[in-house]
Amino acid sequence: MTDAASARATRALLGLLAVELVAFTFLGHNFLTVANGFEVVRASVEVGLLALALTAVIATGGIDLSVGSLLGLCAVVFGWLAREAGLAVPVAAACAVLAGTLGGLLNGWLVTSLRLPPLIVTLGTYSLYRGLAEAATGGVANYTGFPDGFLGLGQGTFFGGIPAQLPLLAAAFLFFWALVHRSVVGRGLEAIGYAPEAARHAGVPVGARLRLVYVLSGTVVGVASLVYVARLGQAKADAGTGFELLAITAVVLGGTSIFGGRASVVGTLVGLFVLALLQNGLRLADQPAELAGVLTGMLLLLALALSRERKAS
Amino acid sequence: MTATTGHTHARRSRELSLLAALAAILLVLGWRAPRFFSTANLADLATSVAPALVAAMGMALVILARHIDISIGSQFAVCGVVMGLVAKAGLPVPLAAGSAVLAGAGLGALNGGLVAGLGLPSIVVTLATMVAWREGLRWATEGTWVRGLPESFQWLGLGQTGGRLLIVVTAAAVFAFFAWGLATLRAGRSVYATGSDAEAARLLGLRPRRVVFAVFVLMGALAGLAAVLTTVQFIDVQPNAGVGLELRIIAAVVVGGVAISGGRGSSLGVLLGVLFLAVLGPALVFLGGKAHWDRALQGAIVLLAVAGEAARRRGAAHD
Amino acid sequence: MTRRALSLLVLLAVAACRGGGGGASTEGPTVALMPKNKGNPYFVSCRQGAEEAARELGVKLLWDGPTETDAAKQNEVVEAWITRGVNVIAVSVENREGLSTVLRKARGRGIKVLTFDADALPDARDFFVNQATPRGIAETLLEHTSRILGGQGEFAIVTASLTAANQNEWIKEIRDLLASKYSGLKLVDIRPSDDDRKRAFDETQSLLKAYPSVKVVMAIASPAVPGAAEAVKQSGRTDVKVTGLGLPNDSKPYLKDGVLDSVVLWNTQDLGYLTLYAAAALVRGTLKSGATSFEAGRLKTLRVDGDNILLGTPFTFTKDNVDRFDF
Repeated sequence: MTDAASARATRALLGLLAVELVAFTFLGHNFLTVANGFEVVRASVEVGLLALALTAVIATGGIDLSVGSLLGLCAVVFGWLAREAGLAVPVAAACAVLAGTLGGLLNGWLVTSLRLPPLIVTLGTYSLYRGLAEAATGGVANYTGFPDGFLGLGQGTFFGGIPAQLPLLAAAFLFFWALVHRSVVGRGLEAIGYAPEAARHAGVPVGARLRLVYVLSGTVVGVASLVYVARLGQAKADAGTGFELLAITAVVLGGTSIFGGRASVVGTLVGLFVLALLQNGLRLADQPAELAGVLTGMLLLLALALSRERKAS
Repeated sequence: MTATTGHTHARRSRELSLLAALAAILLVLGWRAPRFFSTANLADLATSVAPALVAAMGMALVILARHIDISIGSQFAVCGVVMGLVAKAGLPVPLAAGSAVLAGAGLGALNGGLVAGLGLPSIVVTLATMVAWREGLRWATEGTWVRGLPESFQWLGLGQTGGRLLIVVTAAAVFAFFAWGLATLRAGRSVYATGSDAEAARLLGLRPRRVVFAVFVLMGALAGLAAVLTTVQFIDVQPNAGVGLELRIIAAVVVGGVAISGGRGSSLGVLLGVLFLAVLGPALVFLGGKAHWDRALQGAIVLLAVAGEAARRRGAAHD
Repeated sequence: MTRRALSLLVLLAVAACRGGGGGASTEGPTVALMPKNKGNPYFVSCRQGAEEAARELGVKLLWDGPTETDAAKQNEVVEAWITRGVNVIAVSVENREGLSTVLRKARGRGIKVLTFDADALPDARDFFVNQATPRGIAETLLEHTSRILGGQGEFAIVTASLTAANQNEWIKEIRDLLASKYSGLKLVDIRPSDDDRKRAFDETQSLLKAYPSVKVVMAIASPAVPGAAEAVKQSGRTDVKVTGLGLPNDSKPYLKDGVLDSVVLWNTQDLGYLTLYAAAALVRGTLKSGATSFEAGRLKTLRVDGDNILLGTPFTFTKDNVDRFDF
C-alpha cells in the first residue's frame, strides 16, 4: 500500500475516533472525562500489547491465534511460581515472560522449520497452551494474594490518575513502530508478507525474520499476562480468553492487511481505541453489551470495504 | 483437471497416516476399554458425528476454494433458533427444518457476496459476521431458550430410533453427494481449480467469483443442516449453541488433509479427519482421562498430525 | 464515500441509543445489576424478578455484563458504571479478588454495593444477598444422590466450565462431605459442559458408556441439567437418575418422565426481586448495617445474618411440586 493510501486510511480511522468522541459525549453519561479516559486506557493495555505484536506477525502474512491462550498459560505459570513455589515476584515474573517467549518460539519453529501454515500452527497451539494451563491447574486453581507492589502494575496510578501500565503500552508502541516502519528488519517483514519468494531471493533471511516476530509475540504475551494478573489480582487458567479475536480485530481495523505486505502500527493503536471507546461509550449510554459486538462486526466490514485494493488475483 | 502426482502422493500419505492414527486409537480402546465398541456407543457416536460431517464438508468446500469461514458457529446458532421459532409458530416441522437451511444459505450468501463480490479477505469478513450474528442473536433472544415446541419437533416425530437413523442417513447421503460432486462434476472440479489458481481458472473459462460465492452459500446451507440435525435431537433450542464450533470443524478438515492454501484435499480425508477428532473426545473419557487434560491433548494431537505429515513430506521431497 | 459511511454509522448509533435510555437519572435511583453471564437461563430469570421489583419500586434498572463468562469484563463494566454514576451496583461475582478492588473503589465514590448469588470480599460490599451457602448446596445435592443410591454407589458430575468459580466451590464442599459424611458414595469423574446443552449431552453419553456402574449423574449447571437428562433418557438406562442444580421450566419434562429425580435451586426470580429491594433500601437508607431483618415487598420479612441477607434454604423441585413454578 502506498504511503498516501496508508495515511488516508489512518485519517479515516481518526475521523471515526472523533465521531465516537462526539457522539458518546452526548449519548453517554460522563463519557468525556479524564477519569473515564484513563480507565479505557487501563483496560486496553493487555489487548493493545497483543495487537501491537500481532501487527508485525500479520505484516509477514502470518497470524497468531494462540496469543490469548498463551496469556492464560503465562498467567498460571506466574501465579504458581509466585504463590505455590514461593519464588520472589520478580523471579516469577521473569519466568512468566520466559514461558511466553518459549511459546512464541514453538510457533515460530513450526512455521519456519516445518513450513506449516501459521493459521494451522496457531490453531493447534491455541488449544495446546490453554489446555496446558487447564491441566496444570485442574481448571480449579486460582492464585491470588499478590503483594500490593505487584498489583500496582495493573491497578496503580501516578501523577494523579495516569494508569501505571500506560508506559508499557507506550514503550511497546514505540518499539513496534520503529521495528515495522523504521528498520531494515521491518521492511523485510512487509516484503515477506507481500512476496515471500521474492524476499528470499532478495536476500531477506525469511526464516529468521519469521521466527523473530513469533518470538516477539510470545514475549509480549508474557508481559501482558503480568499486567492482566496485576489488574485483576488473580491468575487463573481462563485468563485472556477471547483476546486473540479482539487483537486481530484491532489490527485489521487499523489498516494492516490480513494478507500481509502492508502494516500500520499507528493504525493498530487507533483501531484499538476505536473499539475500546465503542464498548465504553455504549456502556455509558446504557446500551447492552451485545450492541457493541454487532457494531464491531459492522465496523470491521466497513473498514475492509473502504481500504480494499484491487489485487490482481 | 487431475491433481499432480506429487499432490496425490501427499494426499494419500495423509489419509494413510490418519487411518493409521484412527486404527491406533481403536486398538488402544479395544485393549483397554472394549466397552467403546458396544452397539449403543457406536450408535451414539454416529448420531453425534453426523452434524459435524455435514458442517465439515461445507468448510472443506470453502477451504478448497482458498478461503475460510469462521462464522460457522454463529450460523449454526442462528439456524437452530430459526428452526425453533418457525416450528413454534405452528408451521410443520419439516418446513421449519427447511427454513433453517435456507437461513443458513442466506447468511452464507452474505459472506459470499462480501468475499466474492467485493473481494474482501474471507477471514476478516467471517470474523466480522461471526461476532455480529452471535451478539445479534444474543441481543434478540436475551438468552431465552425456544421452548414449548410441538411433540413432533424432536426426531421430526419419528421416535428415537427412526430419528437417529434419519440423521445418520441424511448426513451420509449429503456427504456422499458432495464427495461425488467434488470429484466428478465440473462444478466440483472448478472448486479445486479456483482454490489452486483463481487467475488460471478464470483464463480457462471458469468463473472464480461465482464459485467462491457458491461455496459460501453452500457452507451456510450445510451449517443450517448441521443445526437441524443437532436440534432435532432435543425438545427445545438453546440460542447460545455452537460456540467454538468453527475451530473444531476447521481442525477436523485440516487434520484431514485439506490444505489451507486451497486446491488440495479429498473428501475421504475430511471424513477421516472428522472421525478421528470425533472419536478422540469420548476415547479420552473411556480411557479414564481427566477432563482438564482434554484440550491440551487435542491441541497436541492436531499439531502432531500436521507436523508429522509436513516433516515427512519435507524429508521425501526435493527442496 | 468515507464521510457518508461514517455519518451512516453515527445515525445508526443514535438510532440504537434512542431505543434505550440515554437520559440522566432524574426518575428515582439507578440500580445497576450484573450477572456472571447474560445468556445463562439462571440469570435471565433473576433479571425477570429484578424487573418486577424495579417496576414496583419506581427504580431505574440497568442490566449489563459479560455475554460469556469473563472475569475481566466484569471489572470493565463496573468501572463504566462508576464513571456513569449509578446509585447502587449489584453483582454476581465471578472474579472475587479482582472485582473486589473495583467494588471498593465504587464504595469510595459513595456508590452502594451489593453482591448476589456469588460474593466478593466482605469489605468490598455492603451486603450479600445469599440464597444458599456452598456447603448447604453441596449437602442438599449429596443428600439426594445418597437417597437415590441407597447410601452406596458411584456417581459422576457434569459441571459448567472447568474454571467456573461457584461450581468449583460446590465441588470442593462435595469432596469434603464425601470424605466426612458420605463415605459410601464415590465420585467417579467430573466433565465440563461449558454451559452448552449439547456438550453436557455428549459428555453424559460418554460417561454412561464408559462407567456403567455410575447410577447418578449430578448436573450442576443450568444448561447441563436438560442435556444430561436427555442423554440418560435416550440411553434407555432406567437404572440411572439425574439430579443437580437447574431451573424448573427446563427440568419439568424430565422430572415428569422420571429421568430427573430432583432439582435443587432456589427461586431465582425471588433472588433478583430481593436484590432490587435491598438495593433500593440501601439507597433510601432503610437498610443499614446491623439490621437483623428486612422487608422485601411480596417476599415479606427475611432474615439478615450479619451482612448476609438470606433468601432461604435450597429448595428441591420434584415432579410433584414443579408445576407451581414458572421460571
